[in-house]
Amino acid sequence: MNFTHLHVHSQYSFLDGASTIDDLLQKAKQLGMPAMALTDHNRLTGAIRFYEKAKALDIKPVIGAEINVENGYHLTLLCKNKQGYSNLCRLITDAHLSNRGKAPIAAKKTLAKYNDGLIAFSGCDKGELPVLVNNGRIDDAKIASDFYRTVYGEDFFIELIRYPQREYMSNSFQLIELAREKGLPVVATNNVHYANMDRYRIKELLNAIDQNIPVSQLKGFRTVEQYLKSAKEMNELFSDIPEAIDMTEEIAGRCNFEPELGKLYFPGFDVPKGESESSYLSKIALKGAKKRYEILSPQVIERLQYELTTIEKLGFCGYFLVVWDIVRWAKARNIRCQARGSAVDSLVVYALGISTIDPVMPNLLFERFMHELRREPPDIDLDIDRRRRDEVRDYVYDRYGAENVSCIGTINTYMARGAIRDVGKALELPENTIDEACAGIHWLSAAQLLQKMDNRPELRNGNIYRRPEMAEFFKLCASIDCFPKHLSVHLGGLLISKRKLSEMIPLEWSSGGDIISQYDKDDIEKLGIVKMDLLALPTLTVIEDTITNIRKNRNIDINLDNIDPNDPQAFAMLREGGTIGTFQLESPAQREMAGRLLPDRYEDIIISISLVRPGPLKSNMDKDYLPRRHKKKSVTYLHPKLENALDETLGVILYQEQVLKVAHDLAGMSYAEADGFRRAMTHDRSGEEMENMRESFISSAAKNGVNREISEKVFEQLAAFAAYGFCKAHAAAYAELAYQTLWLKCHYPAEFFAAILSNQPMGYYPPRVLLAEAKRSGVKILPLDINNSCRNYSVEGDSIRIGLMQLKGISSETIESILSERDKSKFDSFRDFILRVGINRRSAENLIKTGACSAFDRADVLLSEIPILFNLKHKIINETQSMFGYNDIPKFNKSEILFGSREEERFVERKLLSLDISSHPLDFFNIGTDVTHMKDLKNQGTGNTVCIAGSVIRYQTPPTRNGKRVMYIIMEDGTGIADITVFGDVQEKYGNILFREGWLLVKGKIQRRGPMSLSIIAEELSPLEAN
Amino acid sequence: MAKLIGEPVKVHQKKSDEAPSITAFIWRKRLYRVNEVINWWREPADWWSGNTLRFFVQVDATNSSTCTYELYKMGESWFLSRVLD
Repeated sequence: MNFTHLHVHSQYSFLDGASTIDDLLQKAKQLGMPAMALTDHNRLTGAIRFYEKAKALDIKPVIGAEINVENGYHLTLLCKNKQGYSNLCRLITDAHLSNRGKAPIAAKKTLAKYNDGLIAFSGCDKGELPVLVNNGRIDDAKIASDFYRTVYGEDFFIELIRYPQREYMSNSFQLIELAREKGLPVVATNNVHYANMDRYRIKELLNAIDQNIPVSQLKGFRTVEQYLKSAKEMNELFSDIPEAIDMTEEIAGRCNFEPELGKLYFPGFDVPKGESESSYLSKIALKGAKKRYEILSPQVIERLQYELTTIEKLGFCGYFLVVWDIVRWAKARNIRCQARGSAVDSLVVYALGISTIDPVMPNLLFERFMHELRREPPDIDLDIDRRRRDEVRDYVYDRYGAENVSCIGTINTYMARGAIRDVGKALELPENTIDEACAGIHWLSAAQLLQKMDNRPELRNGNIYRRPEMAEFFKLCASIDCFPKHLSVHLGGLLISKRKLSEMIPLEWSSGGDIISQYDKDDIEKLGIVKMDLLALPTLTVIEDTITNIRKNRNIDINLDNIDPNDPQAFAMLREGGTIGTFQLESPAQREMAGRLLPDRYEDIIISISLVRPGPLKSNMDKDYLPRRHKKKSVTYLHPKLENALDETLGVILYQEQVLKVAHDLAGMSYAEADGFRRAMTHDRSGEEMENMRESFISSAAKNGVNREISEKVFEQLAAFAAYGFCKAHAAAYAELAYQTLWLKCHYPAEFFAAILSNQPMGYYPPRVLLAEAKRSGVKILPLDINNSCRNYSVEGDSIRIGLMQLKGISSETIESILSERDKSKFDSFRDFILRVGINRRSAENLIKTGACSAFDRADVLLSEIPILFNLKHKIINETQSMFGYNDIPKFNKSEILFGSREEERFVERKLLSLDISSHPLDFFNIGTDVTHMKDLKNQGTGNTVCIAGSVIRYQTPPTRNGKRVMYIIMEDGTGIADITVFGDVQEKYGNILFREGWLLVKGKIQRRGPMSLSIIAEELSPLEAN
Repeated sequence: MAKLIGEPVKVHQKKSDEAPSITAFIWRKRLYRVNEVINWWREPADWWSGNTLRFFVQVDATNSSTCTYELYKMGESWFLSRVLD
């Protein structure tokens, strides 16, 4: 008794499919089904993972989709072959792209155009034929069936779905009658939406979320029958028409599409006449190298040739040319743009101007990036000035054709908070209950919520998680864990193809108006479509803006290529932890590392960036390196052959490139083999595989004259390191930007902070913390002023003026109006301002309240003028009063001063500017006298007990070596920043405070792990009480 | 014509979890022998209010006379839903 489910929805039928592909396939396997189809709504998002998972379970995968056609009717389509898949991609793409902002609809003429290789079913109860039959429009149904028969020929089937119910399946009998009359074959499906019956509730829940209504208000037919039924159940349902059951197997047999995974598709590049991609790449690389190096040494020429040969052999020349073309275009327009990641290991990349790091001098290894044994697409990630990234993207669309380029989609899935909010709303829970349920949750998946309730103090102590009546609610939330909510744009990922992308992958609109792939980056990679990452990096924007600010403010042109790479002042600031606002060096862990490492040269930044990663810290790599660095431990090597690879890091393995060098020097592997060895060790290996690798390494080393004991020890070190080590090329690329921001902050703090504040959100800290840091760096903060403030933060000497954009609710048009009127002449009075500028009352009031008009009069006076001025303005605009009226405004009675108290000022600043300028909020809390200001913590020694008070900037719970959760809290009090460590016992005790309180009083002991590093080990926590 | 009842009944089954295997039921202390299971289906419940889904069975049954009866199971309990002439 056989049956194949050919109409199945997974979680990738967003907010409709209620079971995962895994659960559906597992159920199919349990039921002994040899094949199964996946037919999600208007998307193929799940197709590749479905294909792979089905194959792994020895179930034949049939790929298809249920698409919407004209009038919103549904149509079930299955791919017979490659052509069918390509046509389905085109159909889905056309349905989406031709209906921007609306539901996707495939036009009937498009069905006819892209019919080849597809099998069509008449669809579920929303299919055209079932709807017409249900409405008694039998003749219209016959006409429609003729259309589909014409389009799909013998591959069109009447789909029969039977849900047992009181009125017994009348529709299916009418459809059978129609099929018989028109000579059409029939096929049975169950329009599956979940693996097991009990998931019908989840489907209804998802539907309610999708429609943004309470689940109790869902309209339409309800059923519990859309589960993956056994062949026996399906045979019983269709016992009167067994051919509908038999047909499922025949159709599954007709569908033999296998996606070509592993094949690579490269973008093409039009080279000048007479050139091949390879010859052209060689030519421009050599030209670039000559520009980079005054004299081309034999070493450079040899390496360049080697890299070019490898690139050609791998067929990557076109890809390199495309990246070069993009960077060249951007740089010609002064758009900051440079490579990050392992691509920086390449001399060709450097010669082409794609990266700024010379890989020859520090001997970065090309093989870490690419070699002949690694048959994977190249990956050159580009960091681009965030403000101008879209210009570069638009160029790519223009240059390579809109149909050949798209962004990569990313699937946004439910985490705990999102699930609680959406499920809570669908179940009509009170808003405050939902808020309470969300309050204690910090970065948890919905499923983890149930698992962690017992061992997370903040959940265990939260009453709401313990209330019996809430248990079912949390179970429902967990049941949609990782379910997709929507597709959005992957940050940076861009696909560039030689041919139309829609022939290979389905595309749709993102909500922001980008065309995106329905597949995520992992599936795109499996399909071999080479992607490029054009990443918007705000740091590059900040660097550009800082340099512009310096030029405007001081008439100095800074060329960052010429700054002292070992500037003592910048390094002193780094050692003291004054790095807030800088790239990569501002996190608490980096600040602490600076206090321990005591960096004094450029290479130290590369080391610091490589050390402060979860892996190296978890493995205590810092404890190996730092004593050697500070000469407290001698530098030794297990074998002299290791010295060449490890001398730059004093005998400790810090970089992935060093693994290659060690394997090469000790075991005689080629660098390509050594990279294969490194990569093999980074993946989970069976004990047997690991043993084979060990033996191979040891026997190779023995041939090189290294004894077994030494090579065993080295192997152990490499095995331990390989999984978490950092790529030096990437660290070097980041270190360059890190140092540039450090240097700019050190020497031009006003210009730097104006730039970074103007480019929020970015970095680690919120604007109020950056502003406090600017003050500590000696920068004066000037208030908003309608005659002096620019759109963004601006620099006036050594001060920063707050920009108009900072004012809550002010429109771009109003700012434009203020700036353009001011260009004509400054405002000489508040009346002048109101009458000349296009501004609404609310914004005018807010400007007054923030002191932006204080040059003219007191706030209360100006506020009282507003009604009359706006009335007058209205009359002038309507020409009912001449401009003479402008001077006839009556005198006002000055009322009591509304503004001026510090509390009032702070309230207004916080509310309207989201800043603390005139005072720190902590001034208004009752903090007692035994509290230490954070600026004074540096005077405290290890073991001293201190009490600090301040606002929480961030909670962090990074992974730890022993798996126990350690919490780090960053706090600030206006005088400085403090890093607090909260261990398990204190977390237990204060679980009800963690993640909930924005203001804390912390008592703890000072810990110093290095001469300049400092943190507080928390012993007591309490919320701060306002005065 | 259908008469709504909504009263608990006691059901005799061959297997307790398979509704179509009902052989008889007792309603108001009288035994009704099932001649034929005509139809069965499941109806979703207002689960958000704590209700579980209902399993319906239409049977042809005889006491003194033969009628069509609609029974349903909710949780572990059976009820007579309606009697159809």
